[in-house]
Amino acid sequence: MSYSKAKVEEILNNTISRRSFLKGLAASGVLSALPGGVLEANEDLNTKIPYSGEKSYQTFRNACPRNCYDTCSIKTYVKDGVMQFIEGAQESTYTRGGCCVKGNSYVKRVYSARRLKYPMMQVGGKGSGTWKRISWDQAIDIIAKKLLDMKKEDGTLLGAALTKYSGNFGITHYGIEGMFNSIGYTTRLAGTPCWPAGIDAQNLDMGDMWCNDPEEMKDSKFIILWGVNPAANSVHSMKYIYEAKSKGAKVVVIDPIFTETASKASQYLQIKTGTDGLLALGMAKIIIDAKLHDQKWLDAHSKGYKEYKAYLDKEVKLDDVSKVTGIPLAMIKELALSFAKAKPATVWMGYGMQRHTNGGSMIRAIDALVAVSGNIGKYAGGARYGHLNTWGFNYAALSQVKPEGSVGYTGPEGAKGEFAQVGGEKAAYTDRFLNINKTARELMSAKEPKVRLLWVACKNVFAQDFDRNQLIRAFQQLDLVVVADQFFNETAKWADIVLPVTTQFEEYDVNVSYWHYWLSINEQAIKPLFEIKSDLEIAAMLSKRMNQLSKGSCTFPQSVDSKEMTIKEFNPAIYEQFGIQSWEELKKGPVKAKAVIPYADGKFKTPSGKFEFYSDKALELFGSALPAYLEVRKPYDRFRMTSPHSRWSLHSQFQNLEWMEDFHPEPYVYINPDDAEEKMVDTDDMVAVFNRQGVLRVRAKVTDNVQKGTLLMYEQYYHNKIYNVNELVDDTSSDMGAFKTGAPGVALHDTFVNFKKL
Amino acid sequence: MQNDLLSRSERLATLKRLRDFFNAHNSQTLKEAYDAFSLEHSIDEDELEILFNRYFVGPMEPIADPFASVYIDDPQSVMTQSTLHVRSLYETMGFFYPLKNIVPEDHIGVELDAYYQLIYLEEVKNVAYLSELRYYFFHEHIAVWMPQLIERAMHGRSEGDNAIHFILNELKSFLIRETTTTRSHE
Repeated sequence: MSYSKAKVEEILNNTISRRSFLKGLAASGVLSALPGGVLEANEDLNTKIPYSGEKSYQTFRNACPRNCYDTCSIKTYVKDGVMQFIEGAQESTYTRGGCCVKGNSYVKRVYSARRLKYPMMQVGGKGSGTWKRISWDQAIDIIAKKLLDMKKEDGTLLGAALTKYSGNFGITHYGIEGMFNSIGYTTRLAGTPCWPAGIDAQNLDMGDMWCNDPEEMKDSKFIILWGVNPAANSVHSMKYIYEAKSKGAKVVVIDPIFTETASKASQYLQIKTGTDGLLALGMAKIIIDAKLHDQKWLDAHSKGYKEYKAYLDKEVKLDDVSKVTGIPLAMIKELALSFAKAKPATVWMGYGMQRHTNGGSMIRAIDALVAVSGNIGKYAGGARYGHLNTWGFNYAALSQVKPEGSVGYTGPEGAKGEFAQVGGEKAAYTDRFLNINKTARELMSAKEPKVRLLWVACKNVFAQDFDRNQLIRAFQQLDLVVVADQFFNETAKWADIVLPVTTQFEEYDVNVSYWHYWLSINEQAIKPLFEIKSDLEIAAMLSKRMNQLSKGSCTFPQSVDSKEMTIKEFNPAIYEQFGIQSWEELKKGPVKAKAVIPYADGKFKTPSGKFEFYSDKALELFGSALPAYLEVRKPYDRFRMTSPHSRWSLHSQFQNLEWMEDFHPEPYVYINPDDAEEKMVDTDDMVAVFNRQGVLRVRAKVTDNVQKGTLLMYEQYYHNKIYNVNELVDDTSSDMGAFKTGAPGVALHDTFVNFKKL
Repeated sequence: MQNDLLSRSERLATLKRLRDFFNAHNSQTLKEAYDAFSLEHSIDEDELEILFNRYFVGPMEPIADPFASVYIDDPQSVMTQSTLHVRSLYETMGFFYPLKNIVPEDHIGVELDAYYQLIYLEEVKNVAYLSELRYYFFHEHIAVWMPQLIERAMHGRSEGDNAIHFILNELKSFLIRETTTTRSHE
């Protein structure tokens, strides 16, 4: 027997042939003769309309919920229920029609064959690799019973811990914390590994962290990009920087690494790592000595300027500044004077700079420099770090009450996190907060009760947290580890149960940025694949089962709709801030908050109501009222190692996609030529990078983009390689962070290592 | 004639067993599907599922992804052009797929189900209306990727994975038998 390929394809592709074929099919009795199985006979076969599939696109509004400055507004194109492509929303002047390389790979991410598809249980024990499928009912039943058993045995649920951070910043994803709120007082890995020292610094100086609109930078006359690399990590901001430059503005990059952004700058200063604060102090001294400071503004709106100036006069020696920072004095002077003369001038401070033992003090010193120059409260000026000014949602998913009679922690109050905080009266009990930046040792040392259940969501602990060996021990001592994720990663490897969760295209949500001022709705564009569920659905299922087993044991709604939960996040203040009447207007595209220039009225939320060069709170908490120079951590090994973000990934996300693997298939250690020569290492040699924490084997790239004495390895996760740069990082704290987020940050870039050729 | 009938019945039975095996979603249904092959090699229910998951499900990267798209279009993706081509074929054949846009149509279990129903139509109901589409489906699609799945799975197998090895051999034999039955005349 034979068949005609051409004839079949004519039926499939020619609408008239297909219509004719379907009519014959309906008449032939085929449908009633099919035995049925996974596929069923289509009783509603439509022979009237020539079938051509659903040819037209449906479009949906989405937003990128990743931990990124840009939080892109997205337009998604779907055909016959399948995502075809996405584009940046044209309506947002910030996203302006384009996503970054990571965002453009979202279709690949959603339809990645590597996604977690079903709830599964590691029956051979953590790390065994022996997995069985379990139904959602089974998974939730196991977890619910474990929680209730723990509550019965301990008299509290403090033995249940949650670690969740920035894997998804959608507002309804605070429903994960809401789920934990709804079962009682629990343990939280809290604080922030990201930017706490800088948050504290800005709050000490200005009483808030509130940056100018990045779109204003197009009108800045002088831009210092200080330890920030937007060409890699905030690509949409670059167009404003380019525009300013094309209009004559000077763009200066100060960074220990010659970055992609440095290559686009008017001037690049390769500063010695951890000395940025001293450079800022030196520049301020030069500006004041040249009488280019804004005395009028300082008199009206600052506190402690006199003490600050006295400190500069007495303690800051310009020759020392030059020597310590590695920047020639003439260059420092030229930079300081030209910065002071340009109006408006602005500084954008990156988050890497505050990941040092003196990180907070460096941000304070730069804030002070911008204040001295009179650029605080000015259009296109400002000491830019970030903001949470547009995050005033209801946090309805988060705000769940504790079950009646819940017993919790009575010790000192701890970390809270920086994004969503819900106020209210002080309760007799609180949750127990453990420092997220010391996850391994905190999990192991928590007592009365000890932690027995850990829920991991929106976070890849083994790629982000420190001291991997201790983390393995910590996970192994837990009775039950639940990991809710989109992909199987190193953390899932050490789980008992993995739960597959939705991408943003499979659920409703709402998103804003910690950098720009746009608001985007995130519509559900496609059905969740396989047996994947949203974090909210998981919480509802848990609530239902817990209440079946013990009525009143969980207050979370027992059925949820992510769209309804999203709508509940809006309030009149949000509508007012963004100039809309209803959330539904966002279906037409993202909207921007009404323009506000931070601190333009000269009012600050500090205790004095002024910009505080001299902060009593800083003195109380950190031992120095002024932004005084604090020396960075002393080396404990031969080379400094820095671990900045890569442009091919975002923490542990995206690098596992083939587009990114094509460009950056493996991790490298970047070594200065002088250091490489000393160790007889060439590009592409395998080297061992090691210190007292651990060892990594990686390929070398020799480049003078990094300075002598410093190695660079990107903070990345490779699904097919054992590589986590944090294996070399201890959990030494940065100087600040405890003020606003309850726990200090981590001095990631004060890591020291040695290396040798393999 | 009797041999021919036996052969036809065995063809359907083998296909059904393969379909049920690859569509199994828990230890019990998997073991029942496995036992239906009456193989000499016996295996514990849990052990079989763990093995099956390692090969075809996950959560770690499976040895051989069970989707045609991975072999035809893109080693990393599901729901690609070839998946939508299979969707179009199913719809032209008069199938309704309840898991549309949830589990891609080119999952091995779904394709074996479609093929089983098409053979059933011809062998049991003597309805030939879809025969040409069935031949096309097999030769232009199934025969293109399932041998690659078998090869990948065989390449990745370890000592002690006999149960999966036996099933793959059953699938391979079935594909060879089907391949020799029909050819395109173009």
